[in-house]
Amino acid sequence: MKFDRRYWFPLALVACLFIPVLVHAQIADETAYRAFPVIGSRVAVWAVAELHLMFAAFVLAVPVFVLIIEYIGYKTDDRRYDQLAYEFTRLLSVAFSLTAALGALLTFMLMVLYPKFTNYLISTFGWTFFPYALLFFAEAAFLYSYYYGWGKFPPRVHLALGVGLNLVGTAILFIADAWVTFMMSPSGISDSGELVNLWDAVYNFTWMPINIHRLIANISFGGSIAAAYGAYKFLGATTDEERAHYDWMGYIGSFIAICAFLPLPFAGYWLANEIYAYSQNLGMTLMGGAFSWLFIIQAILIGMLFLAANYYLWIGMERIEGAQRFRRLIKYLLISVTICVLVWAIPHSLVATVEEARKMGGAHHPLLSVLGVMSAKNTAVNILILTTYISFLLYRRGNKEATVTWAKTGNLVQFLIFAVTVAFVVFLGIYGYFVEAKVRIGLSIPQVLSVLFAMVSVTVIDLMMFKKARERGTIRWGKMPVRAQYTLFFIAISFTWLMGLMGYVRSGLRQHWHVYGVMRDTSVDAFTPTLGYASYVISIIVLIFFSFIAFVFWLAGLSDSKVGK
Amino acid sequence: MRHSLGIVLFTVLVTAFYAFVGQLVPQKETYPPQSTEVGENLTTSEMVDVGREIFEGKGTCIGCHTIGSSEAGRFPDLAGIGARSSSSKEGLSDVEYLAESMYEPDKFIVDGFNPGMPPADKPPISLNQQEVLTVIAYLQSLGGQPTITMQTKLKYAAAIPEDVATNVASSEEMGGEALLTAQGCAACHHLTEPDRLVGPSLFDVGKRLTRGEIYESIMDPDATIAEGYPPGLMSATMNGTRFYEKVTLKQLESMVNHLASLDGRK
Repeated sequence: MKFDRRYWFPLALVACLFIPVLVHAQIADETAYRAFPVIGSRVAVWAVAELHLMFAAFVLAVPVFVLIIEYIGYKTDDRRYDQLAYEFTRLLSVAFSLTAALGALLTFMLMVLYPKFTNYLISTFGWTFFPYALLFFAEAAFLYSYYYGWGKFPPRVHLALGVGLNLVGTAILFIADAWVTFMMSPSGISDSGELVNLWDAVYNFTWMPINIHRLIANISFGGSIAAAYGAYKFLGATTDEERAHYDWMGYIGSFIAICAFLPLPFAGYWLANEIYAYSQNLGMTLMGGAFSWLFIIQAILIGMLFLAANYYLWIGMERIEGAQRFRRLIKYLLISVTICVLVWAIPHSLVATVEEARKMGGAHHPLLSVLGVMSAKNTAVNILILTTYISFLLYRRGNKEATVTWAKTGNLVQFLIFAVTVAFVVFLGIYGYFVEAKVRIGLSIPQVLSVLFAMVSVTVIDLMMFKKARERGTIRWGKMPVRAQYTLFFIAISFTWLMGLMGYVRSGLRQHWHVYGVMRDTSVDAFTPTLGYASYVISIIVLIFFSFIAFVFWLAGLSDSKVGK
Repeated sequence: MRHSLGIVLFTVLVTAFYAFVGQLVPQKETYPPQSTEVGENLTTSEMVDVGREIFEGKGTCIGCHTIGSSEAGRFPDLAGIGARSSSSKEGLSDVEYLAESMYEPDKFIVDGFNPGMPPADKPPISLNQQEVLTVIAYLQSLGGQPTITMQTKLKYAAAIPEDVATNVASSEEMGGEALLTAQGCAACHHLTEPDRLVGPSLFDVGKRLTRGEIYESIMDPDATIAEGYPPGLMSATMNGTRFYEKVTLKQLESMVNHLASLDGRK
């Protein structure tokens, strides 16, 4: 295959990654900090790092589900899947270049603005930079071979390229996570910060939880952006055929986003648990200290996401012939989602005037504060996940009717599983109020496991029950109202904002430490800003991100026109 | 075009909504904890006041412990700790028990609670011994009578000075050569002559040893002993001068760099 000129630009960008390392040797000196004009060093690095992460998340996530979609197309011999996978991949090319450019910019900024800290990280993790850079080259090679080789390689070779792309991408993620998590939970170093064991520094307390959390979150985030692309194309579509295609694309994107989103809170539990295991101080700062109110904002965001995800499914059922029979259940699902979101968003203490506080007898509301504790919140989250799962189950069954003889029994068993799980989760939630902290903290594990068990077992039963189901009608792809497309945008924006918020807390959690407990932040930015200020910064980052994404969509659209011609 | 504008407007609106939500929660900037001035001549009652300040501030104790709360917290409620600490662990006085709880918190775990409290003298808290004494005074005052003084000797080694924990960001600018002199290395090693003193000459050490070996020779002197020199002497000297407690990463790097540059040429 002739080497295409199109390869040069992204490969040159990748090569940019090496420049910072070379330049570093020249500019490293004893200066601890330099000031970035106007917005300051912290905000500058914050914005660039977050933008880099967002694009990196997208670039790492899309190949995961593209590969699965392509594989489904290969196994079923359905060209639609292959076409869909290709369309998603088309978004990757520009996004990958932007990721590399932002990564190089971030490295430059760290070296110029935080030379001493960067020097320390390089002295600790220097040997990991070489495989990282090499893997980046491999990523570029796999990605562009995968994209430009679409339809040109035999299917199995092409799928193998996709597997390679995913493996390399995951390895890159894991290496970068080692640096980030070391800053939060350093290990493998002496009391004076000197590296003792590189593997211990890499495999620190929060490394694997962050790896898993990011893998899942990336897929969810990538799915939501891909769904937004489908919505964008749907709104601009001129024919019914186009609308049908992009409606389907939006659905697949949102399906991926929701599927990955459901287990995300569980990965979050694990991460929080490891943070506590590493340092109770760090854990308390996260959940009970300066950042406790951040989780109220998070609850509102995730609540909105769950509401929007359910809403999209409920609208989607309108285009499925036969799904009308489930419409009467939607109001109960809505009630459940709403109650769960409200409980989750209730703070333990309230912002009150002195007079209000006197009337309440303190900052804790006599009734609401009962719901503002982890026992209630964990219960609410678990039921919220189950409710969303039920919405999906109904959507899936929309135009199907089970033909197996044991269908009634199957439905009954599924209902019992749900009922017992909900009862068990609620029981543990109430029980948590009457036991000491040590026991209460551990109750979240059986709650999570029971919900996971319910989802897995009900899915298995459902798959068997509807294997040879009779179709009650068709799915009228393309017959979706405009508000459904805006719901997809809403999900993508909320996901991005949530990612910005959680990126902030992961980094801000260290407070006045560059490397927690090892290297103190002595800059003018050593304080932790207000959540309001952080919200403004996150919002601006999100808007910049979507400006770039609009550019990516536009370029992908140009590619469409070319294909059309 | 109409939809493009709609999408842009929608994106801005949703983003603005979340920015607005961020304004509805309490707004508080958190600053790095300030060190409290602990004078050598504090009276016990003054120690109680200073101790409370550290308890609520730099010590971050209040993040996990409550005082007089009816709700079960993550760590034990400390109301009345001054009265019960003398009988909390057999064989330990109240001061010894409280000191152990702060220096070696995992040594004794109160029933019903998990281990997990970080040692108060280690980062990220890094209280020095004087600060620990004042916190003990404060804890004794919770339901009891403080008896501790600034002269009370605790069995634990002096806390690591804060500049060790934060050495990487410390501001000392001495060069490697000056540091070697300041640390007293030249008392035993010639740096500019090939002659031996108590220890071998280092004037050409950069030719003989790699940076890693030099580092090892400083941090673990007995790992490899130069022929004709007694083992244990250097490590005993270094420990005696508390070199390892005082030296910072930056200083160590400077010293190693300087030694690595010594190639026997004057």
